[in-house]
Amino acid sequence: MKKFLSIVLIIVSFLIIYFIQSNFFTWFTIANIKPNLFVIFVLCIGLFAGKKLGLIFGIIFGFFIDVVIGRQIGISGIMLGTIGLFGEYLDRNFSKESRITIMLMISAATAIYEIGGYIFNIIALDINAEIIQFVRILIIEIIYNLLITIVIYPLIQKAGHALEEVFKTKNILTRYF
Amino acid sequence: MYKNKKKGIAGIVITIIIIILLVAFTNSDANQVSYIQNICNAFVMPIQNGFTYLKNKISGNDSFFADMDTLKTENEELKKKNSELEQSLRELEIIKAENDTLKEYVNLKDKYTDYTTVPADVINRDISNYSSTIIINVGSVDGIKEEMTVIADSGLVGHVISVTKNTAKVQTIVDTASAVTSKISTTEDTIVVQGTLEDKSTLRANFIPTDAVVLQGDSVETSGIGGIYPKGIHIGTITEVVNTSNITDRYATIKTAVDFNKLNTVLVITNTVND
Repeated sequence: MKKFLSIVLIIVSFLIIYFIQSNFFTWFTIANIKPNLFVIFVLCIGLFAGKKLGLIFGIIFGFFIDVVIGRQIGISGIMLGTIGLFGEYLDRNFSKESRITIMLMISAATAIYEIGGYIFNIIALDINAEIIQFVRILIIEIIYNLLITIVIYPLIQKAGHALEEVFKTKNILTRYF
Repeated sequence: MYKNKKKGIAGIVITIIIIILLVAFTNSDANQVSYIQNICNAFVMPIQNGFTYLKNKISGNDSFFADMDTLKTENEELKKKNSELEQSLRELEIIKAENDTLKEYVNLKDKYTDYTTVPADVINRDISNYSSTIIINVGSVDGIKEEMTVIADSGLVGHVISVTKNTAKVQTIVDTASAVTSKISTTEDTIVVQGTLEDKSTLRANFIPTDAVVLQGDSVETSGIGGIYPKGIHIGTITEVVNTSNITDRYATIKTAVDFNKLNTVLVITNTVND
């Protein structure tokens, strides 16, 4: 029951994040660059709830984004699924108890998501690679994501530990031995 | 523990302020000076007012000691009038907004009389920094099909890439995957106009013929070649011609006629003059 409720909450949270991203953050930009809340969200799922949920929700949410507003179906699904898996990998190797490590994880995840997505787009849509412009946008996006992470860090910790309790209880103690 | 919590909250508040300042400064261009002016005024003016108050008092200006009762009654009346005026202003604003939207539709229709069009509102914008698609509130029930051309009052917007019953997804011309075969209206030379990552109002004109004379300020419009866009729809104006050592690689930048950041109303061309 707890697991079911948590999954419902994750889906509801995703929809709220979607509306914030597609309404508020289309005009509340830094130098016309939007943050990417989906990367933060899916990374946290992978980090606290495990790779299975990270991967599944990453693919589902990415597919939803592609269907609703994307120009090529599949790319966001693949990349967000990768971020979900990446969350589990980070959880195994790094501590989640520090703001700095969470910020570094989100920077890395944003870079992986956008670089991977851009390469896929170049191949699939035959677009010209604009490296300098891409890097400029990516840097601003990472900074924006970092600033948002600082603000929502207490929420990430609270919600994350609640998720961890539901989905990873058995693993918390045993995985170190 | 308590200190740490306090520090954490202070950090969050400072970060929020930084985000707001960054957003405000990076999104304002010509108004930047007045922004700074406003901030400086906010610091200086209260002190300045205090000094003026003191000066008036010292110089015997006793307007502060006027009949308090009369002032109170007057104040109440003015407050009442003010709220009434505010109410009518709000009503007028609503009527004005409705009028503007209707005018926009009428203007658009008048401008493109050669085409059969369906008016639409932009209801969703792309969430990514690397692509530019929009969702409009008309779909297959309104006769919208894939590859139909979408225009705005000032020029070309893009084309429909997918349709649902009540909505349609439009790939705009500023999307990096968009390529429109166009022509320079003065010389009739054919070029290919592509979207860039630079910003949402800049396009890049490639494949300029080697013998073409391209000048800053030249107007660019659709050529009708390619099968999607009809001929003669305004795209934008050439702002810069970049010459390279190899003349075949030269390109030009184009400022779009449509302001994609403020795009709210569009028209979908459901048939062309050739139909």
